[in-house]
Order: sequence, then structure tokens, then C-alpha cells
Amino acid sequence: MLNQRTANLVFVVLIISACGYFAYLAQGFTTSGLLASSGLPSKFFPQLMLGITAFCAAIVGYRYLVHGNAGGEEDESVFADGKEARQGLSMLVVAGACYSIWLFFGFLAMAVLLGPLSLLAMGVRAPSTHFIVLFLTAFITMIFVFGLDVDLV
Amino acid sequence: MLDIAALTTASGLLIDPLTMGLLILGIVVGLVIGILPGLGPPIAIALALPFTFHLDAVPAMALLLGIYSAAIYGGSISAIAVGIPGTGAAIATVLDGHNMYKSGRGGEALGFSLAGSIIGGLVSALFLMLVAPLLAGFAVQFGPREYLAISVFGLAVVVRVAGKSLPKGLLMGGLGIFLTTWGLDELNGTERYTFGSYHLYEGLPLVPFLVGLFAMSEVLIGAERAARKVDFSNTSLTVRLPGLKTLGRMKDVIFRSSIIGTVIGIIPGEGAAVGAFFAYSEAKRRSKTPERYGTGIPEGIVAPETANNATVAGALVPTLTLGVPGSPAAAVLLGALLIQGLTPGPKLFSEEPDLMYAIFLGLFAINIAMMFIGLVAIRFAAQLIRVPTSVIVPTVMLLSFVGIYSVSNSFFNVGVLLSAGILGYVIRKLGYSMVPLSIGFVLGPILENSLRQSLTIADGSVTEFFDTPIGLAIYAALALTILWEPIASRRRRATEET
Repeated sequence: MLNQRTANLVFVVLIISACGYFAYLAQGFTTSGLLASSGLPSKFFPQLMLGITAFCAAIVGYRYLVHGNAGGEEDESVFADGKEARQGLSMLVVAGACYSIWLFFGFLAMAVLLGPLSLLAMGVRAPSTHFIVLFLTAFITMIFVFGLDVDLV
Repeated sequence: MLDIAALTTASGLLIDPLTMGLLILGIVVGLVIGILPGLGPPIAIALALPFTFHLDAVPAMALLLGIYSAAIYGGSISAIAVGIPGTGAAIATVLDGHNMYKSGRGGEALGFSLAGSIIGGLVSALFLMLVAPLLAGFAVQFGPREYLAISVFGLAVVVRVAGKSLPKGLLMGGLGIFLTTWGLDELNGTERYTFGSYHLYEGLPLVPFLVGLFAMSEVLIGAERAARKVDFSNTSLTVRLPGLKTLGRMKDVIFRSSIIGTVIGIIPGEGAAVGAFFAYSEAKRRSKTPERYGTGIPEGIVAPETANNATVAGALVPTLTLGVPGSPAAAVLLGALLIQGLTPGPKLFSEEPDLMYAIFLGLFAINIAMMFIGLVAIRFAAQLIRVPTSVIVPTVMLLSFVGIYSVSNSFFNVGVLLSAGILGYVIRKLGYSMVPLSIGFVLGPILENSLRQSLTIADGSVTEFFDTPIGLAIYAALALTILWEPIASRRRRATEET
């Protein structure tokens, strides 16, 4: 199982890299005209925040590297077991897939698939649960379409 | 001073059938969501936010405040009936509430929890009504340096209390503030991190970000424990409200817990859970029989339940008067005001006095209505504890998707919702708190604008930041807040050694 130490170290490296990238982008913020000389430049605040964020990420990384944790009691592993990891990550994929389905095939396709795909990701097979979820999907859709007059495309 | 004209107009707005209907609906929805473990007040309010886009300000706030108050109370029902708190605010209630339930006194336990919640809610609403206009009148004089001091104070306190690791809290606070720098620079129009997309000209939208952070991340966390089942016996679920004599015997506990809850609600980041625990430990500390706490006594339910509901109006004090949210739920409420085209802050009292007084009166009405709804509905609502997570997960996901899309018919906003949900899921799994991230995201623009304006006024001199009595007092309070704990623990150690 993925442990907290490894996961947090990867996360910290990603954060520091992202901070470097965004700080580099901020160098390109230019203000033209009269406003250019007024007050602090636009890049100051984002770069300040990125600096603070990267500094804190470095401290967190150092603590995980040297002490194995960043203070406080934390679970040894990110997921309790393989089943929990599979269900959580599958649901993440389903959420992304549903967004794409809505974008490319329309709301109806997404609404019909969201329930069954979610239940599949969570390993639920009971027909009654499928029926309840489909009923709730139809109910929510009706509220928005007929109650609030939202054009769901 | 109370504005009688605004109070009269607000009463008229509040007794409108639609507003009253939404207020009651809010209480019912809040109770339901509060009962379901995992879905707390910020998620409940976040899910209802898109609906308020179609409403006027007063009915919208009646709905959201009904949800906020009832969700905090609802958490105690599952805490008492199954020993699983529906919200973090109800964790302290489990200790005595569930023991009372197990001994066949569930109805009594629910009655004490309901009575405490209502009294706490009413006392803090009264405090809000008396204090908020005064504070707003005072805050009108605030300039950029004072706002900078308030933002720094709010953020520092949130970071200090959120989670167990200070660097992790600071990291999240910094990240939240950084994300608000995306979009056009408000002061000079420079494009920052827009990546050529006009969607980002106004920056990352607040409502989809907050709904994603709270609701979508909960969907993903909930999917991991979808198989867990909860069952309970509902033999003693008929609420039995305590008599005035019984409450009179507990008047000290009730009064103290109301004050503790209100004050803790005002402090940014502390929230209902801290208020409940603090009130519980204070009640136990001052009791003549502290050993009975945790065995199933009424005081052990009344203290945390009075305090956690008192935090609701307490959290609204800085939110409404300064635009600085006192809790994640208040941050989402702040988003509701922005949806209505209103800017929370001291000017709101002079620009929208009717709305402000409708909020105050609404809180009174909510607490009174909650008593009747609680008496009738708890027995039925408690059955919802049995609703499996596998049903809740896709329902909340669809509600979040459709709700956010309906606000501006924008797929971009749904994308922000999803991205914020994934970010929230990752940081929760890695042991970070979402509170500094969300509060940082709300405070970021105030912090940047006030910092830049202060530097311009002071001609680049940082020392002039402290050249204002109010600002200086706020920085002194901040220093005291940060230094108090180490000083207190050093004194405790010294006393123990001698």
C-alpha cells in the first residue's frame, strides 16, 4: 500500500515544481501605459505567495524525509486497504468520465450513466440500489429542468 | 443601535410565504444532511447554493441559514442514536448522548440536544443582532491597513488551528491565496495566469471552487467506504423535551456554553467542533461530579449542543461586518451573498439594512421553527441514518454537477468544480486540512488589494503598516494568540517542576 511518507514526498515535489513554473510565468506579467508605474507590480503578490507555499512545502518534505511524518498522528498508509483504494480511485475516474460524457454526448447520456458507473466503481450490484439511484437522478433532473427552468444540454 | 425601520421592513420580508416556506425547507434539508454521516454544514450549504441563484437575497439567506443551523443540530441525532456523529460539531455529544440512548433514554437525550441547540442558537442570534451593527459602524472607518491586519489575523488564526501540522496549514493557506491571483489584476488590468482563456479573466470562480472542495471531495472519500452499513434500534426516538425546572437546574451550563459557542464562532477557523469540545470540557471542569461526564448525563449533551449551535450566529459576526468568514460554512455563505451581487462588509449594513435585519430575525425564526420540526420529524428523519453511502455518492455528484452548471450554464465552472474536488480529495488523503485552503481562497483578494494599497499609501514603507491604532491592536492580538500557548505551557511546566 502507498504510505503517507512516499505520497507526501511526491506531493511536495509536485508543489515545489508547480511553484517554480508559476513563478517563472509571473515574470512575464507586464503592465503597459500609465498604470505600469503605479504601485507594486502584478507579479509581486503571486510570487510572494508561491515563495511562501514552496518554503512550507520544503519544510513538510524535510520533516517527512528526516522524521517520517510532518507532525501529528497520521495513518501509516494513504488507503486503509486495496478495496478502499480501488473504490476511491475508480470513483475519481468515473467523475472525470461523466464530465467528458456530458461535454461530448450531452446531459442525458451523462445522467443515465452516472448512477450505474458510480455503483460499479463502488462495487454495488444490488438492483434495488440501482433503481433508487436512477429514480433520484430523474427526480433531480426534473427539479432543475421543470422547477428551475434550467436548460440542461 | 437597532434600526427600527429596517427591523419592521425585515419582519415584513420574512413573513412572506415563499421565504417562510424556504426557511422550513432549509431546516428539513439541514436536518437530513446533518444526520447523514460525512455531509456537514459546508457541504449542505454548498449543495444548496446554486438554487439561491434563482431567488432574491432574503429568501436565499433564509434557506441557507435554515440549512446551516439545522445541519449542525442534525449531527447530534446520529451521534445519539448510533454513536456516529453526523458532523464534526457533534463529536462531543457522542460521549454522553449515545450512553443515554443505550440505557433506553434516547428520547430524553434527543430532547436535551434539541433544547440546548435552540437556546444556544437564540442567545447567539441576540448577540449578533446587538453587536454586528455596532461593529459594522466601527468598521466603516477601516482603510487598507486595517483590512490587511484583519486578513492577516484571520488567516494566521485559521492556519494555527487547522490540522496538526503548522507547515501543512501554511502551505494550504498560501496555495488558497495564490489561486485567487489568477485572472485580471484588479488594480491595473494585467492578465495573470489566464492561459489565453476568457473564462479566467475574472479568476477561478468562488462557488464552483468551494462546492468542489467540500462536496466533490466528500463524494470521492464516501465512495471508499460505500460498503459500510449502519443499523440501529429506533425504540427510543420519540423526543422528550426537558421541562423548565430541569433546564433551570442547568442554567449555568447553558449560559456559559452559549457564550463560549458565540465567542469561538467569531474567531476565524475555530468552528462548531472546537466550540462544542471547549464547552463540554468547561462544564466538566466546573462540575462537582466530573466523573459522571461520559456516562450519559444531560449536562454532557446540553453543553456541546448549546455551544455548537451558538457558533452559527457567532461565525456570522465577522462574515457580515468585515467580509472575513469565521468558518468554512460561513465562507460558503459569503459566496451566496456574492451570487446575489452583494459585497459582504461594513457597507452592507448601510446599503442593505433590510437584508441584515432579515438575517437576524431569520435566525430567531429558524431556532423556534426547529423546535417544532424537531419534535415532529426526528423520529422519521433518524431513519435516514440507514441510507447507504452508495446512494448518497452519485446523488451528491449529480447535484453538484447540475447545480454548478445551472448558475451560469458554463462547462468551465463544472471543470473547476471537478478539479477542486480532485484537489480536495488528494489533500485530505495526505493529511492536509481544507479549512486554510478555503479561507485563503476567500481572503486572498482582500489580502492582496489591502497589501498593495497600504504599500502605495505608505510609499513602500512597511513600518507604516503599524502606524494605525486599530491595526496595531489587531497585530498585538495576533501576537498574543500565537505566543499564548507556548507561554502557558512553559508556565505549566514550571509550576509542575516546583
